[in-house]
Amino acid sequence: MNAITAEKMVLALIGGVTFLIVALLFSILGVMLAKGLPAMHSGFLFDASRDFGRSGGIFYQLTGTLMLMAVAVLWSLPVALGSVLFQTEYLGAGKFKNLLTQLTYILNATPTILFGLVGYIFFGVYLDAGVSWVTGSLILAVMILPTLQVSIREAVEALPEKYREAGMALGLSRPTQIWRIILPQSFYGMVTGVLLGLARAAGETAAIMFTATTFSGIQFPQLFSDPVPTLQTHILVLAQEAANPESIAQAWGAGLVLLGLVFLLTLAAWAFRTRMVMESEL
Amino acid sequence: MIQFKNFSASFGGRKILQELTFSLPANSITSIIGASGSGKTTLLRALCRMNDRIENFRVGGSILVDGMDVCRPDTDVYALRRKVGLIFQKPCVFPKSIIDNVVFGIREKITKKDYPDLAEKVLREVFLWEEVKDRLEEKATTLSQGQQQRLTLARTLAVEPEVLLMDEPTSSLDPKSTAAIEKLVQSLKNRHTILWVTHQHDQAQSIADRVLVIEKGQVLPLSAPIVRLVKPFTKAG
Repeated sequence: MNAITAEKMVLALIGGVTFLIVALLFSILGVMLAKGLPAMHSGFLFDASRDFGRSGGIFYQLTGTLMLMAVAVLWSLPVALGSVLFQTEYLGAGKFKNLLTQLTYILNATPTILFGLVGYIFFGVYLDAGVSWVTGSLILAVMILPTLQVSIREAVEALPEKYREAGMALGLSRPTQIWRIILPQSFYGMVTGVLLGLARAAGETAAIMFTATTFSGIQFPQLFSDPVPTLQTHILVLAQEAANPESIAQAWGAGLVLLGLVFLLTLAAWAFRTRMVMESEL
Repeated sequence: MIQFKNFSASFGGRKILQELTFSLPANSITSIIGASGSGKTTLLRALCRMNDRIENFRVGGSILVDGMDVCRPDTDVYALRRKVGLIFQKPCVFPKSIIDNVVFGIREKITKKDYPDLAEKVLREVFLWEEVKDRLEEKATTLSQGQQQRLTLARTLAVEPEVLLMDEPTSSLDPKSTAAIEKLVQSLKNRHTILWVTHQHDQAQSIADRVLVIEKGQVLPLSAPIVRLVKPFTKAG
């Protein structure tokens, strides 16, 4: 086999794999649209669910999901940002820095069910927070921490060294450099990280089922200690009622909305990332 | 006055500068020439402790700036860098307005109403005022390379350093901009001690009061015509 034939075979192979991934994505999208669109009606996003979710809309589940995600990011962002700045601005390249990076990846690979279990035991039982908005958001915050950390670290590390050096040469202290150079110049990368973190949070189900949410009987949480309704639990419980076509239809509809939410967040993250690359090339 | 006393620098066991001992008088221009990798840039960066972030970078001996040993671990490096300003080979402006760039290093120390006066003062010093006075709010990245280099010099001057370290500041500039920077440096000599690293012997001869040749991390002994006025440091006592 000559080199050109071999190259064509490799090209066909990697092209085929790429096509497979794209086809898979579009199949999922197609199925979600085909199954989910019939459930959509004018009040689907803005009405409360009725009859144990079999009719009505998903207003409280959608807002509950957004509230849970938003608070999780609020917990997680300062920790992620602080650890990134410590790693990039204060630690020289060395074993400790590498160890921190590896730990982040290990945290990212931890099965989410374990987060739910350990989180519930620690926050829910030991700290007596129970199944609540605060417990769920804290667990979710720990879960999205690696995603946020990695995204923000990539943004900060992508910042051209010349900016740091220019700041140093002007006699700016390290905190001033962080405040005036690192944070503004990494802004779009950080927003990307937050959006990806939100998207990851929106996709998590196992952990928050244990810790944050109940299926029925709740609307907006009045306190941090109240449970919060979420789309994920809503879908899961409705899907378990396989014999009831109304429930299944509602589950597909809610699934489509959840997918749309993740899709929008990822799209926004991509847009901000593009902006970040453009800024760094200035 | 800047004094190097048995100053050495190494990176990961590789000696870059070896036992340098010489002095530079205040308010003078000294050109440093030498082949690539001879240690010129390391010498400049050691003077303002810019290599502190580099792991495995070690120094020995001392560098005195106005009698203060900048190599001591307890040196206030931020104060040192305000006193010893560094201009890089390639201009690095921040993606902000021209006026924001000018005041970048001193923003915390002056009020916003003082920005225009300070900007005019330092931009005039670097002969850039007439070119940018009507567009101070425009992004600095819209300026030409030569203008950007003068802007970075203005930004450094705003911090009022006593010493200016210039690391091949004209290497990426066209002849006209190069001439402008050379003229500018001559005008700054009365108030600053200037070290100018260059590859161009002609430039070194034309702008400097004295020329140092560095080769393999060592200052070459006096030899005409390149080295004219180097005065080796004389140990006290």
